[in-house]
Amino acid sequence: MAEKKNHAEHAHGEEHLRKKHLMLDPLPRGQMNAMVMESMHTTSWKFWAVFGLLAAITAYGLFYSWGVMIAEGLGVAGVNRPAYWGIFLVNTVFWIGISHAGTFISAILRVFKAEFRRPFTRAAELMTTFGLVQAGFSIFMHMGRVWLSYWLMPYPNQRMLWPNLHSPLSWDLLAITTYLLSSTMYLFLPLIPDVAMARDRSTGWRKTFYKILALGFRGTEGEWTHLRNAMNIFAWAIIPVMFSVHTIVSWDFAAATRPGWNSTIFGPYFVVGALHSGMGAVIMVLAIVRGTMKNMKYFIRPEHFEAIGKLMLIISMTWAYFFFNDYMVQWYGGDKWTKQLLHFHEAGPMGWMWFVMLIFNVAIPWAVLWNRKWRSTPWIVFTVGLLINVGMWFERYIIIPISLSINRMPFTWRLYQPGIEIPLGIGTLAFFILLYMAASRLIPLIPVWEVQEGQMAHELKKYGRETVVTVSELE
Amino acid sequence: MTESKIVDLLAVFPDLEPAADAIEHLRSIGVHDGCMNVISGIPVTEAMLGRPSQWTNVPRIALGGALLGFGAGFFLAFVAPYLYPYPIQVSTQSYVPGPPAVVVLFELTMLGMLLSTFLGVFLDSFFPNYRPMKYVPEVSDGKIAILVECPYGDEMKIIDALKKSGAESVRPAEAQHL
Repeated sequence: MAEKKNHAEHAHGEEHLRKKHLMLDPLPRGQMNAMVMESMHTTSWKFWAVFGLLAAITAYGLFYSWGVMIAEGLGVAGVNRPAYWGIFLVNTVFWIGISHAGTFISAILRVFKAEFRRPFTRAAELMTTFGLVQAGFSIFMHMGRVWLSYWLMPYPNQRMLWPNLHSPLSWDLLAITTYLLSSTMYLFLPLIPDVAMARDRSTGWRKTFYKILALGFRGTEGEWTHLRNAMNIFAWAIIPVMFSVHTIVSWDFAAATRPGWNSTIFGPYFVVGALHSGMGAVIMVLAIVRGTMKNMKYFIRPEHFEAIGKLMLIISMTWAYFFFNDYMVQWYGGDKWTKQLLHFHEAGPMGWMWFVMLIFNVAIPWAVLWNRKWRSTPWIVFTVGLLINVGMWFERYIIIPISLSINRMPFTWRLYQPGIEIPLGIGTLAFFILLYMAASRLIPLIPVWEVQEGQMAHELKKYGRETVVTVSELE
Repeated sequence: MTESKIVDLLAVFPDLEPAADAIEHLRSIGVHDGCMNVISGIPVTEAMLGRPSQWTNVPRIALGGALLGFGAGFFLAFVAPYLYPYPIQVSTQSYVPGPPAVVVLFELTMLGMLLSTFLGVFLDSFFPNYRPMKYVPEVSDGKIAILVECPYGDEMKIIDALKKSGAESVRPAEAQHL
């Protein structure tokens, strides 16, 4: 009798573990393919309503407003002495930050063989590419005369002028271009087998589309070997590129001898800040994809939110450490203008933003994410991710226009008042979501082959009285 | 003069295990490893199937790209400053300052390496290739296919070996548009 009870408990435990872990709950590959294809093909009127609304916001906010700025000049923006850098650069830094999540999840977690990454690497990589597109738009807006942007490139020209490669602004061009190209290629390589799968299951224009994208991939031993080698090289090499991008962005500020900016810790502080907002954005995207797309509850489970929630908690703690380190050293230095700036951050007219930043980036994540149940609940972590992103946007706003509002010449002090930057910023956000929505219906958001590969490697094993999850090395 | 005619057979297996058995079986009846090709929907390693290692040029191409990128970075960081008709003097920095040169070298080396890695996949895999090819769509549903080149007259022996190892179907491979 007792043996029977033990057997039933063991079976129940196994069943519970299988339900919890995607890697232990395999379905036939054909069924998973069908589920992913169905999720791409299923669109409701709500999808098109949101899509239409976002398209209208993008058309007005991004393209029309930009047209107005090109026609009227930068005077329609709020940037003026002393805050020449405003929301355009806040958004540039913000979007580059968002783009870090894709590489972090796809490359770092791949290198460390973190198995929970498998179903959502592509969802995160897409954020990288689309985020960098918005960062590019934002920096071109900041230029004002965008049609002269080619002056950044080193090319022989009539006036014999070359870009100044001693300047962090030129390094930005190099770093962002390298990162955009690399992350797009890194998105595309693991996508090839999935578009080949979609090609085999499509008709009409979709068939042609997938056929072109699949490049003739069949899955031969040679093709997989070349692909696997390339993905390994990318996973290792793109990590230092990711670190370099936000470090170089931080040098745009830190290389200046301004109070509040001239900090040796800005590089890692910016990188951690980027990961903080990026992870927050990934969890928001996953919650939306799981909640709105068909069959996604099978692929994206509470275990994934739990794992990302843990990472968010660690990153929040690291961000707090760097923030305090930066603050402490500046405060202790006792420089008159730096103290004035720190006081302005906390008690100036925008002081509320400084406190909200700390509450959203530190207090709320720490209060919520320590609890396993809460960090496994999609709507809770979605809310935390949203607040972190608001907090991180505020952080960039404080670092850029608020810090520029006061300086060593009090007669120039003036609070930054944004103008056309607001619709343009909203436009980039709408365009980002729009691109993501379009991509979700065109390319498989779930890397099915990676999920199947992971499922092959996982099993349950009984040690004494306990059943545990084990994973074997496939490569 | 006799012309040796080659027939391609395509066998589909439900799983990895019978496919690995079939490869061993084919080898035992004299089919050379170079005459077989495995097609799968997930990356199946050589060790799983008992196959010889696959050659890839991707790491070498990546290295070549890194060197080219380094060369481009070297030109921009160390040579170009002396070509400017109006030399750029930043503060007390020399025309070729060390730390900024490191940044330029790093970014262009990485760009060269990653671009060439990507290109390497295209070159080694002959992508894009939209010609008719020997393939079965069941592969992307998890089946394993083995493409065997066999001399004319040996087909029956090979078909028999494949079927005995658990092939779901064995048929002459026909190139078709994917």
